[in-house]
Amino acid sequence: MQKKREKKMLEVSDLSVRYGEFVALRDVSLEVDEGEFVVVLGANGAGKSTLFRTINGLMRPSAGEISFYGERIEGRPANTVVSRGVTQSAEGRHLFPELSVLKNLTLGAYIRRRDRAGINESLEEVYELFPILREKRRDPAGSLSGGQQQMVAIGRALMAKPKLLILDEPSLGLAPLVARQVLDAVVQINRTGIMVLLAEQNAQAALKIAHRGYVVENGEITLQGTREELLGNGEIRRAYMGA
Amino acid sequence: MELFLQQLINGIALGSVYGLAALGLTLVFGVLRIPNLAHGALYMVGAYVTYFALVSYGIPYIAAIGLSAVVLAVVGITIERLVFHPLRNAPHTHHLIAAVGVLFFLESGAQVLWGSEFRQMPSPFVGTVEVLGLNIGLQRLVVIFASIAVMAALYLFLKKTVPGQTIEAIEQDRTGASLVGIDANRVSMMTFGISAALAAVAASLVAPINLVFPTMGEALNLKVFAIIILGGLGSIPGAIVGGFLLALAEVFSSTYISNAFGQAIGFVFLLVVLAVRPTGLFSKGV
Repeated sequence: MQKKREKKMLEVSDLSVRYGEFVALRDVSLEVDEGEFVVVLGANGAGKSTLFRTINGLMRPSAGEISFYGERIEGRPANTVVSRGVTQSAEGRHLFPELSVLKNLTLGAYIRRRDRAGINESLEEVYELFPILREKRRDPAGSLSGGQQQMVAIGRALMAKPKLLILDEPSLGLAPLVARQVLDAVVQINRTGIMVLLAEQNAQAALKIAHRGYVVENGEITLQGTREELLGNGEIRRAYMGA
Repeated sequence: MELFLQQLINGIALGSVYGLAALGLTLVFGVLRIPNLAHGALYMVGAYVTYFALVSYGIPYIAAIGLSAVVLAVVGITIERLVFHPLRNAPHTHHLIAAVGVLFFLESGAQVLWGSEFRQMPSPFVGTVEVLGLNIGLQRLVVIFASIAVMAALYLFLKKTVPGQTIEAIEQDRTGASLVGIDANRVSMMTFGISAALAAVAASLVAPINLVFPTMGEALNLKVFAIIILGGLGSIPGAIVGGFLLALAEVFSSTYISNAFGQAIGFVFLLVVLAVRPTGLFSKGV
């Protein structure tokens, strides 16, 4: 039992979040293990972003616990959660639009700002993952296309050398080809050992690349399972794949 | 022509002081979204600190300005902690009321401590120098060069250092800033400190030309607000350009129209800009 607990690097248990009277999340439990790629499926407004914002400390839960490597992180200010090893490319991206791509990325490494050599190494890794960003490094982030901005957001989240990378619908609003490129990059990131927690509306694309998944509906987790279990689930096929 | 050039120099000197003071105000607005109505009072306290450092302790003028900047940075940080930090989640009207409270508190405090008489700040830069046939007051040249040096230093700080970048990051996206681990609290304190220090430098530079008295910040308060609205709230180039525009308009309309009109021109300017471009000249769509 003890050993099994240690394996769960991120453990969310019975988490509830309210906006005033409105209950946005109710008793949500979720976990991510070492090396895992976990997807959270759900329609708009189901509560995926609220869940992610709460994990990253942008919102406080009204009940429940979040622990990361055994350490409780719920309700902590967002800037301290980053240094525990959890970064996020959030809904709306939240880039610094007037700063150059390079400055956006460098600020991503804010928590290890004294590690000059390490930052340059991480920069190279991000440029390798998204070569277009090297070309655009001097341009203000706000001038980039949607797909490129998403790459900056993911790259910036990587610059902190996270253990867990949270991605809130990175393919939203992108052309299919660009969306695939972004999701392929996420797979590569996961292969380097970084845990990934991804929110997606496109269940087909997401389940192709994830190990496990959860389905969120109206603020509650209604279904969970391995990729094969979810892909074989008729309900999911009907609700999220249009088949 | 000679009058014109003379007034041009005067306008540039005044504009650099306005620009410095407005920079502090616009920085605080950009980071904390607070219209800090107490800014003029910080300016006034800055002038007094320099005055006493000079007159009572015999500290050389430039060193006295540096000391005043440091003292005011501490005052600014203290005010942020005691007054604005506790109100961070309160509605914006609370900030405004609190800022007016700080303004009155500092003005009355200055009156009680230092009396309401007008004081003349002595400066080692007396006399004039002749440049291209013009007699220019040495103090005015000091004002211009010192202001430009401070502005350049601020620019380098904001663009080239990590702490400076955290200020820009918070201005541009608060959520993004906390997602990369920037502590908004620390940046708020730092910004208030810099803002108050800039006000102190501006006041200390211009004090030998004008006078030092407890309500000296009030007129400036109105002007710097006009400047940052003119330039675009939160915009740094807007504060600098707005400062020079307002000063030149004031100086030239005082010279060629009338003194009274010179004081009003800034607000005429402001009305026109608000009518034509309500978000200011350098707005970034805030």
